[in-house]
Amino acid sequence: MTAVATQNRPGTESAPGPDALKAIQDKIKSCIQCGTCTASCPNEFAMDLTPRHLWRMVLMGDTEDIFASQTFTLCSACYTCSLRCPRGLPLTEAMHDLKQLAAKHKLPRYKASTAFYGHFMDTVRRHGRIRETEFISRYFMTMTPSKPLMPLKYTSMGLKLLRKGKLHIENPFAAPGKQSLEAIFQKVESMEERA
Amino acid sequence: MQTKIGKALVIGAGISGIRAALDLAEFGYGVTLIERSPHIGGILSQLDYQFPTDRCGMCKMLPLVERDAGSQFCLRKGLFHDNIDIKLSTELASVEGEPGDFKVTLRQEPNPVDAARCIGCGKCVDVCPVTVADEFNAGLTTRKAIYLPVPHTIPNPYRIDTAACTQCGACQEVCPTEAIRLVDEGRKDFNILVVDDELIVRDSLKEWLEEEGGFHVSMAESGQEALQHLKTETCHLMLLDIKMPGMDGVEVLEKAKELFPDLPVVMMTAYATVETAVEAMKIGARDYLIKPFDTDALIPKVIQIYQTLSTPPGPELEVGAIVMSGGTSYYNPADGKDTYSYGSLPDVVTSLEFERLFSGTGPNGGQLLRPSDGRPIRRIAWLQCVGSRDMQSNADFCSNICCMYAIKEANVARERAARAGTELETSIYYMDMRTFGKSFQRYRDRSEASGVAFKRGRVHSVEPDLQANDLQLRWADIDGNVAVDHVDLVVLSVGQRPAEGTQALTETLGIGLNPWGFPQTEPFSLTRTERDGIVAAGSFAGLKDISESVTQASAAALAASTTIHNAGGSIGLKDQPEAIYADVSRETPRILVTVCTCSEAVTQGVDQKALTHHLKSDPAVDRVEFLDGTCTAEGWDKLVALVKQHRPNRLLIGACLPYVYARKLKALGTEVGLDPRLMEVVDIRTPVFQAAREDAPEGTEPSAVTVQRLLAMAVARLRRISPAPVATVPVFQQTLVVGGGIAGMTAALAIADHGFTVDLVEKDKALGGNLQWLSKTIDGQDIRAFLEDTRNRVTGHPQINLHLDTRVIAAFGQAGTFYSTLEDGDGNAVQVNHGATILATGGHEAATTAYGFGTSPRIVTQQNLEAQLHDGTLDPTQLHTVAMIQCVDSREEPRNYCSRVCCSTSLKHAQALKAANPSLRIVVFYRDMMSYGFMESYFTEARKSGITFIPYTLDRRPAVAADGTDGDRVTVSGYEPIIGQPVEMTADLVVLATGIVPELPGELADAYGVARDEDNFFQEAESKWRPVDALKEGVFACGICQAPRNIHESIATAEAAAERALRILGRERLPSGTIVARIHESLCSLCERCVEACPYGARSLDPENERIVVNPAMCQGCGACAATCPNNAAYIEGFDAEQLMDVIDAALN
Repeated sequence: MTAVATQNRPGTESAPGPDALKAIQDKIKSCIQCGTCTASCPNEFAMDLTPRHLWRMVLMGDTEDIFASQTFTLCSACYTCSLRCPRGLPLTEAMHDLKQLAAKHKLPRYKASTAFYGHFMDTVRRHGRIRETEFISRYFMTMTPSKPLMPLKYTSMGLKLLRKGKLHIENPFAAPGKQSLEAIFQKVESMEERA
Repeated sequence: MQTKIGKALVIGAGISGIRAALDLAEFGYGVTLIERSPHIGGILSQLDYQFPTDRCGMCKMLPLVERDAGSQFCLRKGLFHDNIDIKLSTELASVEGEPGDFKVTLRQEPNPVDAARCIGCGKCVDVCPVTVADEFNAGLTTRKAIYLPVPHTIPNPYRIDTAACTQCGACQEVCPTEAIRLVDEGRKDFNILVVDDELIVRDSLKEWLEEEGGFHVSMAESGQEALQHLKTETCHLMLLDIKMPGMDGVEVLEKAKELFPDLPVVMMTAYATVETAVEAMKIGARDYLIKPFDTDALIPKVIQIYQTLSTPPGPELEVGAIVMSGGTSYYNPADGKDTYSYGSLPDVVTSLEFERLFSGTGPNGGQLLRPSDGRPIRRIAWLQCVGSRDMQSNADFCSNICCMYAIKEANVARERAARAGTELETSIYYMDMRTFGKSFQRYRDRSEASGVAFKRGRVHSVEPDLQANDLQLRWADIDGNVAVDHVDLVVLSVGQRPAEGTQALTETLGIGLNPWGFPQTEPFSLTRTERDGIVAAGSFAGLKDISESVTQASAAALAASTTIHNAGGSIGLKDQPEAIYADVSRETPRILVTVCTCSEAVTQGVDQKALTHHLKSDPAVDRVEFLDGTCTAEGWDKLVALVKQHRPNRLLIGACLPYVYARKLKALGTEVGLDPRLMEVVDIRTPVFQAAREDAPEGTEPSAVTVQRLLAMAVARLRRISPAPVATVPVFQQTLVVGGGIAGMTAALAIADHGFTVDLVEKDKALGGNLQWLSKTIDGQDIRAFLEDTRNRVTGHPQINLHLDTRVIAAFGQAGTFYSTLEDGDGNAVQVNHGATILATGGHEAATTAYGFGTSPRIVTQQNLEAQLHDGTLDPTQLHTVAMIQCVDSREEPRNYCSRVCCSTSLKHAQALKAANPSLRIVVFYRDMMSYGFMESYFTEARKSGITFIPYTLDRRPAVAADGTDGDRVTVSGYEPIIGQPVEMTADLVVLATGIVPELPGELADAYGVARDEDNFFQEAESKWRPVDALKEGVFACGICQAPRNIHESIATAEAAAERALRILGRERLPSGTIVARIHESLCSLCERCVEACPYGARSLDPENERIVVNPAMCQGCGACAATCPNNAAYIEGFDAEQLMDVIDAALN
């Protein structure tokens, strides 16, 4: 059985209360704990709680344990569990909701993943597409602002990626499609506010 | 025999259809049993084994009273009954009229093979060039276009699959009896109009339909042209494209329908516009085809439409009632989203395919070999809930049967492997193991003990492991560990779905469907529909196993019978010509022997002269004749002529398939005045098959010797036959029903409604039993109003004598004649004579001392809660936490059975509490949630409403502790396995589901000669095939004294028991079979061993006359008495010692 630390959980001071989970609970209420999601998850090996375990906690309203876990940040949104769930539950969506809750409450435990997602989307918003160099630089700035030279440790990896065409030298002035994406982002923001 | 004028139509000849037909026929109604496939038996013709015996046992459904009216052989092979007319390959075309007086029109699919001429030689199969998948083996093998639909039915003429047949004519040429008439001239005159704007589509359709289908085809390239064409030329079918420039297909359809409303139109559509095609069907299109066309599907579809249109409807029948027993179909995993790679991995099979895989008539002759490479199978996994409890396949229901058939398949496979001396690993992956039926839980426990592994978890994926050359399953166990298991074969336990054609049939009959597409039945009934006289039987109305199908088929027969009776159909037609047979007992035997020569297997090597000479060495043999094709109409005519000419007093026919002749022999007997019991058909063909083969092993007995021996044995048997008149027993045409709960009242009403007197005995002062404390069903039906209504009908019924506050204090007797003594509360005794007995003594909620029951007013049983909710002593709004504990003292020894109703009761109560107080926290501790069938949707609803379900196991049960003043503070603790942590709560209310215990006193069971099972429920004759009968004929049981059930199901058993009783009550004297036990009284020493030996309770000691008596109507001729008798006093008619010695002599000679 997965061991969950029951005390000294750092960063859960401002954890969302049980009510915050209500919308997610409503989505997955008819769960029968069959475990298909767990067996289907490609990242399950790295998770501290299996997906089924996580969903059970959501249904039980156990926010403390949920937001002590990294499980939902490890969801890579492959949708396999949603596809296979015999109850047809929107599990990937629910994972996403948990990520959002964590971001909204600025839980320190999820600083890294929140920052990662945040900068990713910001880059997309600014340029209409992902720009790896800018995105990763900003991420490092947030995570280690006191060590601006730290990212240089990754130089050799960066060069390798560059050689393989995985990393691109970008023109910081070109920003195609910015206008149209901005509208989308604004719309989403207004929708999220309403929700 | 005595028949009644009433007639019924039974649609579907699976086991429920057979049961319903037999019940109606045994009561005396004429039954037409139609079946759309070319064989009877339904799905069961493909399944060889059923639990709990892991054998077949279908024959146990055969008639027990007036046995000789029906066939007395394997029911999987066929069914014959004097009152049943079976029409195969037949569907219902239309219905008119009203209950009691329906006029129905049938439609028979033509078969180019003339069944009366076909001798089953199989030459046509050898030459047929078309090979298609064989549906009998679930597609695991292939067959030809001319084929035997089922290898074992009798009679078994070949059939042509007209959809697959290319009409090449090869079979017609080789057929030795000219039984095949293939050429269908009508197709040339069948004009098909193809409307499409694309030339290539028009041209290819024309070519396919003309060359492969043999039709006449015209073409039009636009809507306007098509309409013009319709006006000038007669068209029989239009194939119409949807997307055309100018006038589109839907518009053309509308206009064409205005001009020719009867013109059949099939839409042609690209996949993207399927929805338009479906819409078009609502405005009159008959069907649609999807482009690009699959010729393998297109031609058969057109041929099918052609056949439906060109087959003249008929025959027409007048029937009083209609029983729908069309069975179910099964979920096809290929319809899902890549369900466990079914279809792409050959070693992933459905449960039905697996049944064929291990069947003796399956692809490997019963050996367990992998479909992919023929390697022996060592490890099998069953995956439960495929197409059940699955929203993604629109199945918010449990299919009821899959858990048990998976266990059975595992057991049979293990037994198979053990016999072959190999090891077999069997694992069942499940979510809840639903062992809710009688004896199911113990069957599961036995299986688990014998090595079947039960793994709780739902498998996520099945993938091939190319290195290990097997399959790997990925799943998560209850503790959250992800496991990868390797197996050779994966069996998908597929769920039930409505039978194909359910919608069309119910539309024809005017019956509504439930949300899952099964026929909707009336409240509190599992068989009655919104239309009186049209009833549903068996799994047609949804999700049933064999015993429930059989029970509900009998219940449906009762509902049909009631309608027919009310319309005057029970009036006896006494004078069906009673056959008068000459008394030959004083004549010397003169046997006419005919030998059929149609089979080469028989004629090869048989010297006719030598055979004649040998047989005639017995002076009893008068003549020996050789006949070609005895089973054909011509051959039979010749035989009849021979009998008339030579007037033998015994007849021996050497042919094949003795079963086919039962009816013919009866007719012949009536015609020439010779008792059919003096005629015998002996199969001389099957035993010589092997000798006739070219590769017959060395030392095989030559066919001549075999044939000679078989005939000589039959001569020896016939020579000594001296038929005594068929015995009958008198019948008191009234019934005693013990128990005035809902089952007893229903049974009493059912019988009384047929005009027979019923004595209804109830030990309490009021009728109603357990219904008195119940208020609403889970689906919201008002139980109290229903009880009130039923009570009023019982008390006001002129044919029901009600005995309240009364018990049966003594009883004895047998089918037809029972004598019971009743005593009321004041000690007044009265004797009642009755022909049948129905035990409906019921049961009650089990008492318990578990989980602190009795230590706190907050710990209650389900019955307590039901009462408190009803009388308002419990206010749900004052509660914060309620804990429910399932399976209290149940499903473990000594009460190792599921009570079936408790899970749904908990769901019902939880829903009611939650409705009154939405913020209430409810936690249900369960082992396996038994929300079977459509009840599953309430389980889903309960989860959605926020009720928490926590599974527990026997080694980790929840605990309840009460303390504080008067135990006012109750703490419930348990273990939540998913989270892996203990849970503890303070509960305002703890509800214990303690289950049902029966109330069937041993003395009462003994008085009527019936047994109780180990849990003191009524012991039925056979749990699957005779679920409401006692082994002793004439005694039946229903309701919860037979097994735990809910109200609907109890009512169904009561109706079934009533129907079974009616078979006996329906006549003044009950005829026996011809083969019954008798006694040489002079040899009998009254040791009574035979009385103990008789499994049917047919023997008893008559103390007054000091002799053993046999009730011939109850005796089934098994011979147990004859084998037990130390003095040879007991014997079976037609099987006495001298005769058998003669037969043995003949065999050894």
